[in-house]
Amino acid sequence: MGQAEKQRSVLRIHLDILNAVSEEGDAKPTHVLYKANLSHERLVRYLDELTSKGLIEVKQDGENRTYNLTPKGVSFLLEMRRAEAFVSGFGLAI
Amino acid sequence: MALAALLTFILNTLSGIVALLTSYYAFRFGRVAGNSLLKAISFGFMLLGLGLFLEAGTSAVLGHTLVGITKYRTLTGVESLSYLSIQMVAYLVFALGYGYMVFGRSDQDLAGSAVAAAAAAGGARALGLTGLYRYAVASYFVVLLLLAFVVFQGILIHSKSRSRFSLWVLAAFSLVLVAHVLLLAAVVALSGNLFLVGTSIQFLGFASLLVFLLRSGRIGAG
Repeated sequence: MGQAEKQRSVLRIHLDILNAVSEEGDAKPTHVLYKANLSHERLVRYLDELTSKGLIEVKQDGENRTYNLTPKGVSFLLEMRRAEAFVSGFGLAI
Repeated sequence: MALAALLTFILNTLSGIVALLTSYYAFRFGRVAGNSLLKAISFGFMLLGLGLFLEAGTSAVLGHTLVGITKYRTLTGVESLSYLSIQMVAYLVFALGYGYMVFGRSDQDLAGSAVAAAAAAGGARALGLTGLYRYAVASYFVVLLLLAFVVFQGILIHSKSRSRFSLWVLAAFSLVLVAHVLLLAAVVALSGNLFLVGTSIQFLGFASLLVFLLRSGRIGAG
């Protein structure tokens, strides 16, 4: 538990990003960056990871780039929220 | 089948189902979260579920509760011995897992959970008991010590997290602890009625766990 507080796990960061994307349809990178509390470099890396896993999709409109959850991403986020609630019952965190 | 045995069969079967459900979800989410402690919790609940089914089966087949079997000194004590042993191992897993969660990885803090295990083993040795009746008393005593440790850790966890989910889990273990005080008293006094009351309170503990499963499962559904 103490370690989880010191350093976010990759899974926790993925979850924070997916939550940020799910909050806002066509989420802008700045919104995700702010909500997930990440540096720009790390955000780009994690967004690429989530895109390659098919959990989010990128929409490019000229200069603007936005992100949305894919159906697989919606299911994954739902499962992770349930997992988060379950593990909190035993004093654990994702 | 005697009414007490029938009720024990029903309550233990239902409790066993909840224990196995908890084991399944702990395993499933342990895999998702890559958390080995959840796998330990899953193992503990699996043992507990199997133990409860074993006791339920014993009550159904013999038509007596564990107290009745002990009282009449039947030769079918093997089933009861298995149940009591499985239960002890299950709660030992919880005690060690909970100690690990609360205190983390340091050797000094891990000693806390080791002390609990040693105290439990010492308690059993101190009783110096043999035979089914004595083994039943000793095992309930050991489980009581382990559960007291688990509940204490649960209080620490809840006081830190203040989560309603940890409160449900704490309520579940607290009820199971109270149940085991009564079950120990029932075995000592060879009281079938007290044993049934203890089994009922234990079932309430598993009902609390079921509420936790249902509530945590709803999260994210909306």
